[in-house]
Amino acid sequence: MIDPTPAAAPNSSGPAIEGIDLVKAFGGVVALGGASFSAYPGEVHALVGENGAGKSTLIKLLGGRLRPDSGVVKYYGQPVQLHSPQDARRLGAATVFQELTQFPGMTIAENLLIGREPRGALGLIDRRRMTAEAAAILAGMGLHDIDPGELVEDVSLAQRQIVEIVRAVLAEPKILFLDEPTSSLVEREVEWLFGMVRKLRAEGTSVIFTSHRWREVISIADRITVFRNAREVGTFTTISEDDAVSLMAGRKVSAIYPTLPPKPAGDAALAVEGLSGNGLTDISLTLGKGEILGVGGLAGHGHRELFFTLFGALKPSAGRILVSGKPVRLRSPRDAIHAGPGIALVPEDRKTEGLLLPMSVKINLTLSVLRRISWLGLIRGRDEQARTRAMAESLDVRPPDPGRIVGTLSGGNQQKVLIGRWLLAESGILLFYDVTRGVDVATKHEIYALINRLANEGRSILLYSSDAEELAHLAHRVLVLREGRIAAELHPPMTSEAIVSSAVRDADAA
Amino acid sequence: MTDPIPVVPPAAPAAPPPPRPFLGLDAERRHILYAVLGAILVFAVGAAVRPGFASPASISAVLLVASFVGLVAAGQTFVILIGGIDLSIPSVLNAAAILLVTSTLGDDSRAVYGITLTLAMGAGLGLLNGVGIAILGVPAVIMTLAMNGIVEGLMLGLSGGLTCQACASYAPPVVQAAVHGSLLGVPLAIYIWVGIIVIVSIVLSFTTFGRRTYAIGNNAVASHLAGINVPLTTILLYALSGFFAALAGILLVGFGGQASLEMGTPYLFESIAAAVVGGVSILGGRGHYLGAAAGAVSLVALATVLQTMNMPEYGRDILYGVVVIALLLAYGREQEGA
Amino acid sequence: MPLSAPAPTNPALAGIAPTDRHLLRALAQNFGLVLSWAVLVLAILIYCAIYYGQLGTLPGNFEITSTVNNTMPLVLSGLGQTIVILTRGLDLSVGGIIDLTNALAALYLGDTLQSAILGSIAILGVGALLGFVNGALVAFGRLQPIVVTIATLSIYQGLAIMILPQPGGTIPPEFSALLVNSGAPWALLYCVAFGLLWMMLRRSRLGVSIYAVGNDPAAATANGISLIRTRLAAYVLSGVASAGAGLFLAASSTAGDATTGNGYTLTSIVAVVLGGVSLFGGRGSGIGAIAGALLTTMIVNILFFAQIDPLYQSFYEGLFLVLAVVLTMAVGRLVKRRRR
Repeated sequence: MIDPTPAAAPNSSGPAIEGIDLVKAFGGVVALGGASFSAYPGEVHALVGENGAGKSTLIKLLGGRLRPDSGVVKYYGQPVQLHSPQDARRLGAATVFQELTQFPGMTIAENLLIGREPRGALGLIDRRRMTAEAAAILAGMGLHDIDPGELVEDVSLAQRQIVEIVRAVLAEPKILFLDEPTSSLVEREVEWLFGMVRKLRAEGTSVIFTSHRWREVISIADRITVFRNAREVGTFTTISEDDAVSLMAGRKVSAIYPTLPPKPAGDAALAVEGLSGNGLTDISLTLGKGEILGVGGLAGHGHRELFFTLFGALKPSAGRILVSGKPVRLRSPRDAIHAGPGIALVPEDRKTEGLLLPMSVKINLTLSVLRRISWLGLIRGRDEQARTRAMAESLDVRPPDPGRIVGTLSGGNQQKVLIGRWLLAESGILLFYDVTRGVDVATKHEIYALINRLANEGRSILLYSSDAEELAHLAHRVLVLREGRIAAELHPPMTSEAIVSSAVRDADAA
Repeated sequence: MTDPIPVVPPAAPAAPPPPRPFLGLDAERRHILYAVLGAILVFAVGAAVRPGFASPASISAVLLVASFVGLVAAGQTFVILIGGIDLSIPSVLNAAAILLVTSTLGDDSRAVYGITLTLAMGAGLGLLNGVGIAILGVPAVIMTLAMNGIVEGLMLGLSGGLTCQACASYAPPVVQAAVHGSLLGVPLAIYIWVGIIVIVSIVLSFTTFGRRTYAIGNNAVASHLAGINVPLTTILLYALSGFFAALAGILLVGFGGQASLEMGTPYLFESIAAAVVGGVSILGGRGHYLGAAAGAVSLVALATVLQTMNMPEYGRDILYGVVVIALLLAYGREQEGA
Repeated sequence: MPLSAPAPTNPALAGIAPTDRHLLRALAQNFGLVLSWAVLVLAILIYCAIYYGQLGTLPGNFEITSTVNNTMPLVLSGLGQTIVILTRGLDLSVGGIIDLTNALAALYLGDTLQSAILGSIAILGVGALLGFVNGALVAFGRLQPIVVTIATLSIYQGLAIMILPQPGGTIPPEFSALLVNSGAPWALLYCVAFGLLWMMLRRSRLGVSIYAVGNDPAAATANGISLIRTRLAAYVLSGVASAGAGLFLAASSTAGDATTGNGYTLTSIVAVVLGGVSLFGGRGSGIGAIAGALLTTMIVNILFFAQIDPLYQSFYEGLFLVLAVVLTMAVGRLVKRRRR
């Protein structure tokens, strides 16, 4: 079992930053359910856990990006009310969140030195000196291959992330928050970051960061707090990876997952051969009728691109897609929807990519089947009303009112509406991208049962989830994607630990 | 559940309450109601200021002029609903008027030919706008602005500055009658407009095409991922805008008898103002033609009231602008509260 | 630990010396601006060629002077429109502001150069006020720029006609000579001056804020930039620039006309687009707008001397505008792809 060395306070002068019983919920989904945390000056503190476990939410609360529903945030022992990251900055904290606050059409130098540009004659900005100063700053931090004269939009995501970090460090913060700072960085860039972090630690700065990558975490962190299920589970100074992974993944009982139907042997509803492009390399897979194929791995390793390509929303550079055995060319989602038994996509961000929030449930449900509910272009109102009400009721959308504006529904109900759209379209191949993200527990279970029912009916489901536990229990088998390739294929009996470590460990072996 | 760490279990998630309806109407219908009430208010004020303003003859005169604005506003509404705009209607309208007279030469037997040709021209020009915007990716402001210049140049050049012999022709009597004639004391042109209002409203509210329009205006990405053909719908909408501009040109030249230059110029801003006053959001996705029609009536009635009060034209312009801004501020605050 | 030695990010650039690479990059980063000046030079050459073909000589002092003088109002209104468009806005009231300030100039510039200069300063202040109204409605009222400025256009046009119902008034000839001297293209000096003013703006805090707001309003706020103040300032500057355009128009025509500015609303947008400024905000340069303004006039000149029927002028202008935008967008995509 776990024999961690529990954390003792690193020094006695009191924590630099504290969070006490912080609670944050988004529309019925509890992101943080009363978590407490503290970090001391001169400490590097890592937060680990799966996606949705609460670590990102905690960092956003401490950094002023979000406001807690309840609980207290303290800086140097004083309770504070942070309304924005600027408030945190005024208290000596700097933040690097995953949403970068950069200006794509301006140069790196301009971005780095905004607000403190060097002035020349007439009090005007001296651009040449600005670029030189930026170069000096970058060189001083050991970054010689970032060219400050480049536009932000012309450099890689990794470089942009580094620039964001540099900007935060330039502010000489006493507290530094880094949310997934290494997600786009390669090893030597990560080493650069950690060198920076060690220097800051020596200067007495508290550094709090989240990460998925175990090797990084143990190499730099003084203390590690593990999150699971919207709570902190424990804080340790040393812990083995196995122990951490089991803490992260948890030992949830399979009873909350429906029993998996046996996979029917049969034809492949969907087959992919050598798919490449948009960051994917040589992806091949088959999806049988009535099969639930899980896709796992860390976010950003090609999952989104794979799903979009299979839906015709991205063009591959190579490879074939076969639907019901026949090769198809998917030039747009329309082609995908009409290919064979029909492909459907429930995308990642239902609010911006899926639903029309100011419009009714009815309109959202029938958006893909307009022809079927109309006659010569005229919508058959009663038919539409009846069908949508029936669908809303069968999915237990609350309230099952087709006239209700979708934007007023909870996240779980919104997701059901989006799924319902494709059920109305009677699609045979369903691509579910993180379909339970931001959904409350009760609705999650309903969706699990639904997925099972759909597979039983003979539909094929490709399921990506950032929750490895879900994948382990919901899918017939799981493909783990890493850096655009299939890194592993797992067969039952599957455990969430296997999926997590497959994604996490292999990343370290890069 | 045997999970050792109990998560705060949420109850069945309570959906946030729906926004309070006013008179049982949602925001979009409310704006239409306001526009209609506004029109009535203007008539009432006008009648108070100038007795006889609310007489049937006077009202129908206002409605007649409003119908021209309303026709152009129909096309404008379609493209504004997807977040676009059509700056080419002045010259398309003008070109349509000229094409009608020169192709029919005032002859009723050629009326059908002339009208069909003219409407096809309008739709065709609109189609070109749509292709430039949807397929070439040219911003709507630029594409339609450029088209305005292109059509104006062609129109002026081909007609020799309206000095060609055919240009002085009259519109066919049947068209003139369609505008000036009356049935039950109401000018026929108003019946035409009412018919258009009915058709456009049905299209927007009850057809798949209308549904797609609102979807794209609300969220083009989600619409695309739902399988809607966004470029095709966009092209059709701009074609419709050109069609309505041409239709307005036909009726206007029927009204005036002959074609002239700069016929279409005032209708650009008027059509946009009518739509906005009627609750159509310039960002797209919200609003209805009924509102734009009511807005057209309100604005024309306002201008007419001011005219009968002998307010000089500049006064009307100033008040026009002030009223539009006041309405926008009122609408804007509403949307934040809703 | 230092990371490895610098290498060019694009292998296609591997064989090129660093200074040349910097030049190439500067070109790529500002290709809209570069393209607009290149096309302007090309247009000037074509104009000279056609002129020579028609008249046997190259364009002389008179042609150059009148071309430049006629373009000054567009240069100014284009600069103002650029500032607003950079913040993701639009100013359709430009024509109205020019009308109104032109009318004011005709009435209140007085008889002497001194009174004219004082009056001009006051009129620029009026322009700032008119712009402030626009800015307040957009920034505080949070209304959409396109509809706000359509409404204020109407108001300002009405005000202009109210104070000057018929063309008239007087402009002191010394004032005209100062602004649009007909002896030689001295107005080019003004262009240079405006260009310098632009570069000063670009290098000021406000200039940076304008680009930041246009690039990403959320990031701007996160960096402590006030969206409200920046947008307000943008519309005020546009108002001042349009007022300047009204003064130049007055100087060119010795009398005032309350409708003379109407065409400038849409033409200023054309000048801006031809200058390589993006309608989506955040990218582009006022120097490009100056080129765009001159280019717009050049096209008219070319059409005239090529003996294109003047009735067809709008056709060619519209065609050119579309082609220019499509071309710029295509080149832009190519440039971006090569650099990746």
